[in-house]
This record gives sequence, structure tokens and C-alpha cells, in this order.
Amino acid sequence: MTARSLEVIEPAPLKTRARYGIDLPAAVGTPPPEAAPLRLRGLAKRWRKDLPLVLDGLDLTLEPGTTTWVGGRNGAGKTTMLRVAAGLIDPDAGRAEVWGVAASENRPRYQQLVSFLPAGDRGLYARLTVRRQLEFWARIAMVPRERFRRTIEESIETFALGELAERRVDRMSMGQRQRLRIAMTFLPAPEVVLLDEPLTSLDTEGGLLLQDAIGEVLARDGAILWCSPSGEHLEMDFDASWTLQSGRLVAA
Amino acid sequence: MNDALTAGQAFLAVMRRDLHVYLSYRTRLVSQVLTALFSLTLFYYVSRLVHVSGFRSHAAYFGFVIIGISLIGVMYSCFSIPELVRQELVAGTFDRLLLSPFGAVRSVLAMTLFPFVYSFALSAMTLALGCLIFGLQLHWATVPLSIPVMFLVLLAFLPFGVLFAALTVVIKQGSVGTSWVIALLSIIGGLYFPVTLLPHWVQTAGKLQPFTPATEVLRHLLVGSQPLTPVGTALLRVAAFAAILLPVSVVVLAHAIRVGQRRGTIIEY
Repeated sequence: MTARSLEVIEPAPLKTRARYGIDLPAAVGTPPPEAAPLRLRGLAKRWRKDLPLVLDGLDLTLEPGTTTWVGGRNGAGKTTMLRVAAGLIDPDAGRAEVWGVAASENRPRYQQLVSFLPAGDRGLYARLTVRRQLEFWARIAMVPRERFRRTIEESIETFALGELAERRVDRMSMGQRQRLRIAMTFLPAPEVVLLDEPLTSLDTEGGLLLQDAIGEVLARDGAILWCSPSGEHLEMDFDASWTLQSGRLVAA
Repeated sequence: MNDALTAGQAFLAVMRRDLHVYLSYRTRLVSQVLTALFSLTLFYYVSRLVHVSGFRSHAAYFGFVIIGISLIGVMYSCFSIPELVRQELVAGTFDRLLLSPFGAVRSVLAMTLFPFVYSFALSAMTLALGCLIFGLQLHWATVPLSIPVMFLVLLAFLPFGVLFAALTVVIKQGSVGTSWVIALLSIIGGLYFPVTLLPHWVQTAGKLQPFTPATEVLRHLLVGSQPLTPVGTALLRVAAFAAILLPVSVVVLAHAIRVGQRRGTIIEY
């Protein structure tokens, strides 16, 4: 893995930024010039009064077309940071915004732009087939009607789920389920993808498919935030690498 | 307009999902049919035994109770929503609903569609079995009117399920309280016997719920029994419950989810 810190990344050219008003989903509109795909500012979170802050003024900005890795020991707060960034839970202080919008200001818009793959194998309906799972998710992700069928077929193809399409989730291996979860994460063509230990149970082929999907997000100037305890992941060049320690990010 | 259509399709997708999950358990429908059949048989013979002054014949009580049995199915479907929410929390799918543009509140409301359609079908089947096997006499002239009334009744029952769903989001337990609430409502709602048999103060307290007027109107339309209150008044009461409680329950659910997000407990199960 090669990693670069954020300091060496040049700001996205103005020409590229101007393009977002056209290329991003209609919900994005034209973001303010200082907006970034994801910006976490001064995030603080404490689970209980008698426990230390799990996030302590955490700042992180993802620039367009970049990948960022955040590591840290178990319990360091990586998942909490992702949950806040995804809009699942609120921080005690600070602000998470996607293209200048906070979830509290416009939740549907926020959720349209961000997609989150939680760690583990949860979040699937055991009795539904792969195809029905994807169809359901595409519907509640509000994929427009005219793109609906194509989106499902592309998702099945992109993640090589063709043979599994009619198989129920409870009859699939952990790795196959993980591939489906990743397919669901990328299905709505999000601008920001938050990945929590995405390689869990994934085989080499699955890893490569994930890499391709990440490449597509980057190609449309989206951003990836990848969290895992150690730096063992795909042969990817992360644009920035950080370690979460005592509630803050330090350069890895 | 396009957004409204997409949202409508998301609503239907939730119902389709629940239908597919239901159909994946192949014996469930058979089990439900048998339960309905045995309930009918039980109350058919009970109706042969009882002589209540309010009923001119055994058949009149059987007609009375069969509507109660049908409506208790609707009540159960309404109170199944908290358990469905609980299952979503445990499976981690609630997070997905919450993180979707469709949102958790609309998803929970959409979760009510399949149980209601299903309970509606089950009620119709119960009545059909009652007619075919036990000679239940329906008032065919007013049966079509019962369909829109049933829709109104569902809207009046729905807030109870949504409020318990909100409680589930907070306390993470699905069926706490629902069993005794259903038992209580079936008593004060007059599902198995006329509410006039109850003590006066219970009858007064019973006016705080929509089940009694709903049952009365449906009994009047389906089997021609005489309601205690005029049909129009009873319908207005049902509509008032729906109009007041439905928005209140949605606000309470949204608030419960927001509190869970603020405290971080929304991720717990």
C-alpha cells in the first residue's frame, strides 16, 4: 500500500468543480465552491458520561476523486466516525456534511449522496433472493423509475451475482453475502462511499470487483472512506491514510 | 410528480418485500386458514350454547362474533408492526431503511401495508368460510359499503401500531404490552360480546378507542345488527380517531427515531 497525506493533494481544479452541477444527481444542485464530497468538522461523541470521548474534535475532508484510509485499534472509534458520517447517529458536537449539506438540513438529499457499508454481515433480508434484495434497496434508495431495471442488471453484472441472482440470502456463503452487501452499497451510484472493513469474508475475485466499483466512484469525482483496523487491504493506492487515536486522526 | 411516483413505488416495494418473505414460509397460509376454520367452528358451537337477551337467535350471535373474530385479525396485524420493527433492528436492516432517501418513518408506515392487506384478505376469507360452511347470512346489499369503511377502520387502528413501533425503537422490545392491550381492547371493544354487558364505567372508558364504533358499523353493514349509536355518529368517531391519532403517531415515531439518533441508541438492538 502506498499512502499520501492530504497535504500533498492539490485542490480540485475549478473546471472540475464546475462540472458537479451537471454530473451529480439533481439533488446535489450546485454545491458551494468550498464544499467537498465529505467534510467532518470538529466531531465529538461520547457514549456515556463516565466514558472518554470516542471522537474528540475529529476533522476530516475527502477531496473529489480520492480514497482515504482510516485505521486504528479495536474500539478506537472508526465505526462511530463512519456512522456519524453516514447520518445514522448524531455527533454531540461538530458537523458532517456532504457537498455542503448536513443530514439535519436535508436528510433525503444527504442519504442520496452517501452510501455506507457497515461491518459484519447484517443488513440483509434472509428470506429474499439476491435480485429481490437489490430491487427492494433500489426502490427505497429512490432510484428513478427510468433507470431502475438497468441499475439492477448492471449491479448484478458488476458484482458477478448472475449465478446467485435467484438464490435466497440464507442459502449463501458469508463471502457471497458480503458481495451482495457491497453491490447494494454501490447500487444507487453514491458520491461518497463509506466502507467499514469491506474485505470481511471476501475472496480475491470479490476484492477485485470492489476495486473496480471504487474506480467508478472515483471516475465521477466521488470519494471513498475506508476503515479497517490494519493496513491489510487491496493493492490500492490511498490518497490519504490516517490512524484514529484518542478520538482524533493522526497521519499514518 | 416524479418524486411522488418514486416514493409510491418505494411504498409498494416494502409491501412486495413482505409478501415475498411471507410466501417463503410455505406452510404459513395453510396454518392461518386452519386457525380461522377452527375459530369459526369453536364459536359456531359456543353460539349454540349461549342465550343472550340482545340476540334473537343463535345465528345472530354467531354473526355478531364472526365480525369480532375478523376484526381481531386486523387488530393483530396492526400490533404486529412493533414486532416487525424489532426484527428490522435485530437484522440490521433498520439501519438501511434509516440511511435510505425513503427514510425510516415512511418505511415503517409502508410496513403496515402488507399486514393490513393480508388481514383484510383473511377477514374476507373468514366471512366466506362462515357463509359456506356455517351458513352465515350476510347483508349483501350493504356488504360493498363495508370496504371503504374497513379502509377507514384500518386508518383508525394504524396509529396504535405506529405508537408501539415508536416504543420499540426506544426500548428495543417488540411485543411488550401488545398482548394485554389486544386482550383489553377485545373486551372493551365488544369483539366477543356486546359492550352493554360491561359495567357502565368500563363502557365510558371504552369510548376512548375506535374499536367499538368500528365493530358496530361493520356489524351493521355485514350482518345487519342494530348499532347502539347511529351509524353516522359511529363513523365520525372512527374518522376522528384516524384524523387525530394518525399524525400524532407519525410525529411520535419520527421523534423516537431522532432521539435514538441523537443518543446513538438507534444502532442498538
